[in-house]
Amino acid sequence: MTPTVAQKVPVRSQPPGKAKRRRTVVAPHRRDNRTAYLMIAPMVILLGIFVIWPLIYSVYLSTFEISFYQEPVFVGLDFYRYVLESPEFWHSIVIGLYYALLTVPTTIVMALLLASFIKSLSRRAAAFMKTTVYLPAVVSTVVASVLFVFIYQDEGVGNWLLGMLSVGPVNWLNDPHVALPAIAVPGIWLGFGVTTLILLAGLLDIPENYYEQAQLDGAGPFQRMFYITIPLLKNVLLYLFVTGFTLAIQMFDLPLIMTGGGPVEATNTPNLYIFNSFRDLTPYATSFSLTASLLLFVVIGAISVVVFRLIRSDKAVDG
Amino acid sequence: MRKRHSTLCVAVSAVLVAAIAGCGSGGDEAPTAGGKTVVTFWQQQFEDYQQAWFKKQVTAFNASQDKITVQVQVVPGDTWAQKIKAAQAAGKAPDVATTNYGNIPAAVANGEVAELDGLMPAESFTDIKENVQSFVTIKGKHYGYPMLVEPSTVLYYRTDLVKAAGLDPDSPPKSWADLTQWATKLNQGKVKGMTIASAAPDLGWSSWGLQYNACGRLPVADDWSKSTATEFCFAQVLDFYKGLYQGGLMPKQPKVGYADGAPYGQGEVAMMAGGSWVVGQLKNDYPAMIAKTAVAPFPSIDGDQTKTTATLGGWTLTIDAKSKAKEQAAAFIQWLLAGDPAIMADFFKASGYSKYTVRTSVDKALVDNPDASADPFMKIISEKVVPYGKAEPAYPWDISLAFGTAIESAMKGSTDVPGALKKADSTINDVIKKQKLAGTAPTR
Repeated sequence: MTPTVAQKVPVRSQPPGKAKRRRTVVAPHRRDNRTAYLMIAPMVILLGIFVIWPLIYSVYLSTFEISFYQEPVFVGLDFYRYVLESPEFWHSIVIGLYYALLTVPTTIVMALLLASFIKSLSRRAAAFMKTTVYLPAVVSTVVASVLFVFIYQDEGVGNWLLGMLSVGPVNWLNDPHVALPAIAVPGIWLGFGVTTLILLAGLLDIPENYYEQAQLDGAGPFQRMFYITIPLLKNVLLYLFVTGFTLAIQMFDLPLIMTGGGPVEATNTPNLYIFNSFRDLTPYATSFSLTASLLLFVVIGAISVVVFRLIRSDKAVDG
Repeated sequence: MRKRHSTLCVAVSAVLVAAIAGCGSGGDEAPTAGGKTVVTFWQQQFEDYQQAWFKKQVTAFNASQDKITVQVQVVPGDTWAQKIKAAQAAGKAPDVATTNYGNIPAAVANGEVAELDGLMPAESFTDIKENVQSFVTIKGKHYGYPMLVEPSTVLYYRTDLVKAAGLDPDSPPKSWADLTQWATKLNQGKVKGMTIASAAPDLGWSSWGLQYNACGRLPVADDWSKSTATEFCFAQVLDFYKGLYQGGLMPKQPKVGYADGAPYGQGEVAMMAGGSWVVGQLKNDYPAMIAKTAVAPFPSIDGDQTKTTATLGGWTLTIDAKSKAKEQAAAFIQWLLAGDPAIMADFFKASGYSKYTVRTSVDKALVDNPDASADPFMKIISEKVVPYGKAEPAYPWDISLAFGTAIESAMKGSTDVPGALKKADSTINDVIKKQKLAGTAPTR
């Protein structure tokens, strides 16, 4: 029998007292803990300075009507009541949710279909497609907004295409019923590339023999999609849904540039609503927008919890 | 172990507090550079010629004496609010800032601006025209020095298209009904009959004149105790806008906001409701349009052109209440706005006479200027619009926005006119209640 490495290395016996003392000074798990604490310390300190402390201080400030020239007036939780009673605040949350519903599922479904298509391509064609699909992700939101404003003009490409079908013209950005879906289009376009690449990575992680076995058992493309692909992409989809929803609800720059929150507040997303509230120069506006931001933080957290609950996260088996 | 952690937390907190406190610390002396007191001046970005004019005058002021140096910074309008708030929070607000008339009462109530009476000579204030005095005065004290007034709403129309439509360009529409009739006749092909504001943030302020016109008041009681938005006359304002929009007489997807006269300059509309500043834009950017353009007071609800159709907006220079160089800042304002009338006469010349004077002495300086006296636009606006203009409201913007949203809702069919006014009424009353506005209307 060949001796193992451990058996080859002679074990030096040590005086019992010395060994005991060494174990008392730094136990191995303590040493590991210390290293771990040291490694996370920079991030914790930065988080403390730039996130936790400002958050705590913001909660404290939200109990005052803040003035930069006079003594702040303590008002307790009045501003929380004002925000929660504000129909405009809740309307903006509804707009944010509606925008998320328009963009997130659409983006994921389209990206999943495209990722499946790219997976089936040759290596060279897949590389070309991946680059092409990712391109919108590097376009600035401001540029995309301006581009789509031109597309949506009365005589823009959008109405020109509809004109070929003898439909329209449509007031894309000035009709309260159409404006938000019109803004969702560039939103989907901008997020589509990254989502596709993430899903493609998830798809490539699924062992090919699962599909081969299923095919031998007579499973068609849809059955393979619903019984193999989607269950094994559950964690990836969860990530995309949670990050997609939280980002979509907070959408700010597209409505700011394309519609300013109008028409008739139809695109007034929560962040835009808070931003516009802040622009009023009164002390009331400062405190109101601060409190609304804190409550939006709570609302987005609650929505994330709901999404986690709806899509129960499991570790992929043998993934 | 727990104790060590607590100690660490306390230490870190102490360091943070000290660091944050250190950021805000500063001496009581005004900053100096090269032996001169530095006065910071934030100018909100306006038309290009204004930036050039301010820069030229600041350079001239700095060269005219050796005790003060003014540092001017141009701030875009859409970032002004957040930038000024951030500066105020950090105790680094500019010594001098451009402030519009409507914001002065709230700034005074909040203690943001310094009283100018003790800082500038009394005769500087007696030179201000009577109808403008109240714009910068709270309880008899001056808190800003006015620079100009500009009516928010004037009617511009294309004389060539008017003639082609069989209308008389020398007899412009006087009532809202006349205007709708003109817009209908001028609505030809790709050229729309007219353009007017159609988005709530624009409607919030540009409709003040028409609110006064229809009701003689704004949709709030004089003492700011309650909303009056459901009065019938306000429904007439909404119906007027709704008729123009839903009748297809104006662009349904305007490319620019109300303040921008580009659609008229580019020939996309035959008539335009616009501020007097558009005269300057036309002269500078669309000179070919001047020869075929006429201006008139904006039509009145019943044709009576002595009723208000425009508010008189405009800008002042104010001094920050926490400024450490108040006297030096006041000296700069005195030199620029209240001193030699030729300086402000030069400004009005640069504006293409699209803005109007606030000082008697500047009027006198312009009398002998042939360009000013011969300008057809200036004559009509200064004689037929400015005298009937009213001050912008001093109440919070939320109230104006609520009414602007009501007009937009009616225009775009989100709700009917009574429903839109009911919602505006509820929002305005909510603003009054939460911002504790009842009884706080400023006394001039």
